[in-house]
Amino acid sequence: MTPMTRTTTGLDAQTAELLTGSLRKMLADNPDGSGLGDTLAELGWDEVLADDRPGATTLLFVEHGRALATSRVLDEVLLAELAPSLPAPGTGPRAPFYPLGTAAPVAPDAPLAGLLLGGLDGVAEVVVPVALDGQVGLSLVPADLVAAATRPAGGFDPASRWLLVDGPVAELTRYAGSEDGSRVWDRAVAVGRLAVAAEIIGVCAAALAIAVEHTSARVQYGRQIATFQAVRHRLSEAHVAIESARSVLAAAWKALEHPDGGSGAARLAKLRAGWAQAEVMRHALQVCGAMGLSLEHPLHRHVSRAAALDALLGGHRALTGQLGAELLTGAELDPIVEI
Amino acid sequence: MTAPTGAPAPVARPAGPGTEASLAEDLDAYRLALRDHLRTEPALESFRGRRYPSTEARMADHARLERLLHDAGWSRYGWPATVGGLGGDERHRAVLYDELAAAGLPVPGQHMLLETLGPPIVRFAPELAAAYLPAYLRGEEWWGQGFSEPEAGSDLASLRCRARRDGDTYAVTGQKLWTSHGATATRLVCLVRTGTPESRHRGLSMIMIDVDSPGVTVRPIAMANGDNELAEVFFDDVVVPTSRLIGAEGQGWAVAMYLLQFERAMYAWLSAAEALRRLRELRGQLAARAAGGRPVPDGAAARLGEAYAHLVALRARSAGTVRRLAVGDTVGPEASVDKVLLATAEICLHDVARDLLGDEFLFAAEGAAGGNALAAGTVEAAQWRTDWWFSRSATILGGSAEVQRTILADHVLGLPKEAKP
Repeated sequence: MTPMTRTTTGLDAQTAELLTGSLRKMLADNPDGSGLGDTLAELGWDEVLADDRPGATTLLFVEHGRALATSRVLDEVLLAELAPSLPAPGTGPRAPFYPLGTAAPVAPDAPLAGLLLGGLDGVAEVVVPVALDGQVGLSLVPADLVAAATRPAGGFDPASRWLLVDGPVAELTRYAGSEDGSRVWDRAVAVGRLAVAAEIIGVCAAALAIAVEHTSARVQYGRQIATFQAVRHRLSEAHVAIESARSVLAAAWKALEHPDGGSGAARLAKLRAGWAQAEVMRHALQVCGAMGLSLEHPLHRHVSRAAALDALLGGHRALTGQLGAELLTGAELDPIVEI
Repeated sequence: MTAPTGAPAPVARPAGPGTEASLAEDLDAYRLALRDHLRTEPALESFRGRRYPSTEARMADHARLERLLHDAGWSRYGWPATVGGLGGDERHRAVLYDELAAAGLPVPGQHMLLETLGPPIVRFAPELAAAYLPAYLRGEEWWGQGFSEPEAGSDLASLRCRARRDGDTYAVTGQKLWTSHGATATRLVCLVRTGTPESRHRGLSMIMIDVDSPGVTVRPIAMANGDNELAEVFFDDVVVPTSRLIGAEGQGWAVAMYLLQFERAMYAWLSAAEALRRLRELRGQLAARAAGGRPVPDGAAARLGEAYAHLVALRARSAGTVRRLAVGDTVGPEASVDKVLLATAEICLHDVARDLLGDEFLFAAEGAAGGNALAAGTVEAAQWRTDWWFSRSATILGGSAEVQRTILADHVLGLPKEAKP
C-alpha cells in the first residue's frame, strides 16, 4: 500500500493520551485556566504544535471544553495568526475582538458589537477587524477606548467571564495596525473556528457522558431508563452529531494545509459543531429530566457554555444562512473532502 | 486490493497506454486522468441530465455507461485482476463515483449492488467471483440481494427461506421480499436457512441463485413513484449447486456482516457523491426559475445551506471509513454513524427540493403549452418526485434508522441492553 493521499499525524496515540491526561487534570484543578500557560510550557507545547498542529490544537480545545474552562487560550491562537501583519506589540498585551453574527469585520463607522474573552486589565490594545473597501484592516484600538463600551457578557452563560462590547468606538481606522489584513484575518478566523469547534465537541462529549451516566443509573418502572428505546435512540443521535462534527473538523484541518484554502471548510466545521451542540443538548436535557434543569446538576453549565461557544466566530444558524445565500448566488459547491 | 484472498498484484498490460500499473499505485494520477476523460469523452455526453421513463430503461442505459467505463479501463480499478480488474483498492472505486458525479454524470445504478455484493464474493467465493464478476463489470449482467422476507425485515436472523442439501445441490424453497433491482437482475445473492428453523443467525448460508433457474418467480413491486425498484421473489424447489455457496455452509451471517461494511462505507460514499450532484442541479434549477421571474421562497438559503452541510459531514465521515476499508481495517458497529448521516443527508436534500420547488414539485403540468410558468420545470420536477420516494428508503433499507441507533446504543455507547418483552 503506497501512502498516496494519506497523511500521517505527528502525534502518536500514546503521546496524545499523556497530553490529554495532563491537560485534563490541570484544567479540572483550575477551571479558570490559570496556570494553563505554565502547564503548556512544561509539556513543551510549542514543539507539540510544530509536530502536529491540528492534533495538538484539537486535543487542547476538546479538553478546554470538557472542563468548561475559561482561559483566554483562544486569544493566543488568533493573535499568533495576526501577528505577522501587525507591528510588534509595544505598550503591552493585545486581545482580539470577536464580532458577533457571522464574525464579519466591522464597518468603520458602526458601533462595535462583539465579544472579548476576558477583562481588559493589563491589555494595551484590542485588535479589531475593520471592513475597508473590500479589504480588512486590523485596527489596534487602545484598550481604554474599548473598555468604555464593555460590560460583563453574562446572560445565558454567566460563568463565561467574557465581555460584551456593545457601543460606538470613535475613529476605528485611526488606529490602523494593518490596512491589508484580509488574508491574515481570514486565516485567523479559520483557525479560531477550528479551535472553537473542538471546544464545542469537548463540551458536548462531556454532556453526553453525563447523560449516559444518568440514564444508566436512574431507575424507573423497575429498570434503568437507558433500557428504554426512546432514551437510547436520543443518546445515539447525540453521538452521531458529535462524531460528524469531529469528522468535519478533521477534514477542515486538512483543507487548511492548502495555503489559500480552508476558510470554507473551517466555516463548515464550526457550523457542524454548532449544530451538534444544539442536537446534543436537546437530547441530554430531555433524558436527564428535571434534574438536568436544576442548578445543582452539572448539565446546565454545558448547555450554556456550548451555546455561548456557538456564537463565537459565527453561530451555526447565521453561518448556515450565509453559506446558503452564497450557494444561491452561484458559489461553487465545494466538495471539501476527497478520498 | 485489500481482499484477503491474496489477489495477485495488478499486471501491466502490454496493450493500451501501458499505464494501468501506475494508476493502480497512484490514486492522484488515476483521479486526474479519469477527470480528464470524463470531461472530454463525447460518448458520455448522452448520459448527462438524462431522465428515464422507468427503472428498467434506466438500468439498460446505465449498463451501456458501465460498458463504456469498463472498456476505457476506469471502472476496473479497485478490483483484482482475477475478476477482470486492474488493481488498486476501494479508494479507486470511491474516486470513480466522485468524479462521475463531479462531471455531471450518473453513477450506474448497477454499482449500488456491485459495491455490496462484489467484495464478499471476491473474499469468500473467489471462483464465483472470477466466473461472474467480469461480466458485471462489463455491464452485461447485474445482481440482486435477497435478504429480507415477509416475516424477516429488521429481524433478519429470523428468515425462513430454506435450502435443503442433497449431495452436491441444494433445493431452495421460500420467498424473498424488497429485492433491489429484482425486476432486472439475472442473479440473486441470497441469505438462506441451512440450519434448523430455530438456529437464528447460526444456521444461515449465502448462496448465488440464477433467476432463470426452474422454480424461480419474480414479481416486480412498484414503489409509490411507479418505478419497479424492488421485487418479491419466490423459490419453489429451486436446484442450486453447492458450488454457488459464498463462504461455507452456516457461515452466512459472517458473510453478511462482512458485506455490511461495504454497504456502510462504499454505498454511503457513492450516494453522497450522487447527492452532491443533485444538490448542484437543484441550485441550477432554482437559479433558472429565479431568472425567469419566480424568486426562491423565503428561507431557501438556510435550507440549501443545511442540505449542503449535511452532505459535507457525510463525505467527511464516509471518506474516513472508505480509507479504513482500503487499508484492510474491519469496520465495526461505529459504521452505523455513517448510515445515520447518509439517511439524514438524503432525507434533507429531497425535502429541501420538494419544499423549494413547491407547486412545481406537487403538480404536474404535463401537456401544458410552452410559456406556461410551470411547464418548463416539469421534467426536472418529475425526477425529484421519483427520487423523493426513493430517498424515503434511506432510513429503511440496509438496516432501519431504528436498528442503527440500537447498534450504536448497544455497541458504541455501551448502554444497558433494551429490556426483552
